[in-house]
Amino acid sequence: MPKKKSLKKKKGKPTAVNFQETILNLQKFWGNYGCVILQPYDIEVGAGTFHPATTLRSLGPKPWMAAYVQPSRRPTDGRYGKNPNRLQHYYQFQVIIKPSPDNIKKVFLKSLSTIGINHQEHDIRFVEDDWESPTLGAAGRGWEVWCDGMEITQFTYFQQMAGIECKPISVELTYGLERICMFTQEKNNVFDLIWNNGGIKYKDVFYQAEKEYSAYNFEFANTEYLLKNFEFAELECKSLLEKKLSLPAYDQCLKASHIFNLLDARGVIGVAQRTEYISKIRELAKGSGKIWLESQK
Amino acid sequence: MAELFIELLSEEIPSKLQIDAREKIKNIIEENLKKREINFLSSKSFSLPKRLVFIIDGLPKKIKEKKKIIKGPKIEAPQAALDGFIKSNKLNQKDVYKKKIEKGIFYFAEIKPKIIDILEELQIIIPESLQSYSWKKSMKWSTYELNWGRPLKSIAAVFNHKVISFKFFHITSNNITLIEGEKKDITKKIKNFASYDQLLKQQNIILDQEERKNIIIKKMNNICMTKNLKNSFNEKLVEEVVNLVEKPNVIVCKFNDIYLKIPQEILIVTMQHHQKYFPLFDKKENLTNLFLLVSNLHDKKGYVKTGNQRVIEARLSDAKFFWDKNKTQGLVKEIGKLKNLSFFNRLGTLYDKTQRMKKFASPVSDQLNCNKEKIEIASSICKSDLTSDLVGEFPELQGVMGKYFANEQGFDLDISSAIGDHYLPTGINSEVPKKPVSIAVSMIDKIDTLVGFFGINEKPTSSKDPFALRRTAIGLLRIIIENNLNFQLKDLINYSIILYEEQNVRFTNTSTTKEVLFFLKERFKNILKEKKIRGDIIDAIDDTRTNYNFLSIYKKCKIINKNISREICKNIIIIYKRASNILYHEIKDKKFEIMEQPETLLFKKDEERILFDKIKEIRNYFSANIKVENYEDTLKMLAGAKPATDNFFDNVIVNDENLDIKKNRLVLIKMFCNTYNNFINFSKIEGV
Repeated sequence: MPKKKSLKKKKGKPTAVNFQETILNLQKFWGNYGCVILQPYDIEVGAGTFHPATTLRSLGPKPWMAAYVQPSRRPTDGRYGKNPNRLQHYYQFQVIIKPSPDNIKKVFLKSLSTIGINHQEHDIRFVEDDWESPTLGAAGRGWEVWCDGMEITQFTYFQQMAGIECKPISVELTYGLERICMFTQEKNNVFDLIWNNGGIKYKDVFYQAEKEYSAYNFEFANTEYLLKNFEFAELECKSLLEKKLSLPAYDQCLKASHIFNLLDARGVIGVAQRTEYISKIRELAKGSGKIWLESQK
Repeated sequence: MAELFIELLSEEIPSKLQIDAREKIKNIIEENLKKREINFLSSKSFSLPKRLVFIIDGLPKKIKEKKKIIKGPKIEAPQAALDGFIKSNKLNQKDVYKKKIEKGIFYFAEIKPKIIDILEELQIIIPESLQSYSWKKSMKWSTYELNWGRPLKSIAAVFNHKVISFKFFHITSNNITLIEGEKKDITKKIKNFASYDQLLKQQNIILDQEERKNIIIKKMNNICMTKNLKNSFNEKLVEEVVNLVEKPNVIVCKFNDIYLKIPQEILIVTMQHHQKYFPLFDKKENLTNLFLLVSNLHDKKGYVKTGNQRVIEARLSDAKFFWDKNKTQGLVKEIGKLKNLSFFNRLGTLYDKTQRMKKFASPVSDQLNCNKEKIEIASSICKSDLTSDLVGEFPELQGVMGKYFANEQGFDLDISSAIGDHYLPTGINSEVPKKPVSIAVSMIDKIDTLVGFFGINEKPTSSKDPFALRRTAIGLLRIIIENNLNFQLKDLINYSIILYEEQNVRFTNTSTTKEVLFFLKERFKNILKEKKIRGDIIDAIDDTRTNYNFLSIYKKCKIINKNISREICKNIIIIYKRASNILYHEIKDKKFEIMEQPETLLFKKDEERILFDKIKEIRNYFSANIKVENYEDTLKMLAGAKPATDNFFDNVIVNDENLDIKKNRLVLIKMFCNTYNNFINFSKIEGV
């Protein structure tokens, strides 16, 4: 009786969690754990780590626990919506806890079960991956977490941020939401991801954006305007640092960083200039971190 | 006899760190035991991602200290000194006795040997040992002060069934281990290693790395056998994978065979480096669409297999996308983009480098006797693949991808091979280029790199070589030796400097040529050492006048090394030493003007003339055979002077009353030595 057989199979595999539920479940889980649930930062960033709730808050002695989803923009990764795995805009779910709890690994594994990954049934691996961000002057030790060969999360103990040694040490978890859902929903193309139970797919939400932004990033972004804007952001940041305003100053640092990424995608940054730009942004990040830290004492 | 057991439980430690820690921490503990004269029978150490385990067996429970005699104050010293001596050493008055030694009479006392409780000693030794280990990479976490490879959770330390209690930073030792079970975690008291090992086995955890390795290899071999595939696996990857799992299981997976159409290097790198899979080959060495995955659990529901297959498919479809795109991007057209890639800050871009390399074609093609145009084209486009997405994604495929692109774009086979080969050799065991155009481009690239970095004084130090100049130099020398190339490197180095000058690159080093040659010679000595050439023979190459023709020096060293204890070499060395000893004694204090050639009119005896003729014969031989020298013949030639030399020394007294005659004889001997030193500096060769 073939019908029965297929029914049985369905029972063994629970229906996959859709994209928006994945975010909601993680928020709920970490909210219950005690994290402050924040909303995405309202400035373009390259990764969830850049949110001041992670960069600045990981500095200083005060305990801190937060979780949030963060849209991340990587202009050079744009593929006009043609590549099944690459996007210039995607989501990360970010958890930051200071100081790092002793049982964090266990809690993390538990969080996976709320988004459809039972760690007993899958090959979960902690593969060495020490993280470094030259633009933030940051470094950490940790792993990429693999689930059946797929990298689903970045697990990092910050050692340094904005050029400053962290004390105490924070732990950062960065869930790659699209990848996780491609895994749980068994999709080979990111645009096929099920967004909600109303039949909306990732494609419906972002396909047009990927096409248009790829064109903007690679072809039409006005580089002259961007170069000037970089300078403005840099100047503004420095003047705000003099006034000891760490948060607004850091915003300018983020802006400079995103402009740099756009210029990079437009291919107008040579090698020598590249390192120069990165070191400029790092100086802004370091300045902001230093002023922030002073405010924490 | 008792057993010491230590378990360090932590979060996942990377493979390399595990191996280092499990070996070194064990050694440190052993040394600390030996220092305290505590003997043991055996020691072992094991590692899993989350566990480091050390076992030292056959330790005594208690040991008696050796009898010790201590020296007190002189007997003339005030009473207070003696009292102090007695008090501080906890002695009784009756234990003290007087004894005369060289410096006078002193008080002495014998300290009663103490009984040492090993358990108490271990309470000090273990934390001390842990603290003195320094990780190659370490970290901090939470609020703790401890710096460790990865967050350390607990320390179980048991000796003779009892806890060795100590504090190590924030952690207090105990005798409890924790295993994350399927349903819930298990905590258990550890009595000894046997019961601990048993406990892990019950959870299917294999503690012993060797055992894990055997299980994995056996499973992989079985699969290959049933599928009729080749069973050779990348050793390094096996070593790594063994330390990434605690419950090893091997799963066969496959990917869509349409991907077999893209260059197999891409597939192999993706599988091995990125996913730690083992690609499988059929018996004819062809890559198949099957691969092996070493998982950390039994794949009950088949999720692990399907999951990994999906991951590889996604990665390969990405790679295929890039391959289809990149293979049509003209390598010549891409040269312009190299202007955006830096070679090194003060040495210009990679575009500049290819332009210099191109100009090298003419002197090199002359020396190698090969097609100049091919070298020019290959040099110009050999770095173009660096602009491709594929090399961006897989940097280790530089050169290899260029070769494929060149083939796709219809370049001559010599040119595409040269692009693929020009980074070779990449390591000690890596092959060197063998085809003429490949050899040319590879050598040009390396000379340009060496000269550039030395020119701006970015030279390697004893501990740092960030631009891998040592490897570059060794590669260059290996290409010369292994391809039998008679190359004058000095000219090429000078030419390279000119090419940099033409591009207005400022060299701060004014003796670049000399330093690069010296650097090459030092590396060359290392190569000779590895080839097991005797040390004195290696030293003897220093003053040879072979002008850095490394092939010729290499051949000379080899032939001398081979014949050093045979008659032929013995004869050469005996006559050379005989001559050089006399010369040394005669001219060491006096200042003689040693002329180039002896004056034949001053020869008084036949033996002088005969020796002189012999030397001339050898000299003529050298100048006649400058291009192709047969070193066997040379040795015969040098040894053949023995009768003439022996006769000279047996029958001619150098120390003649007539100073002119004496001088002339010394000049003759000097000429003899110089001639022999043409081959190698025989004065450095130790006697036989």
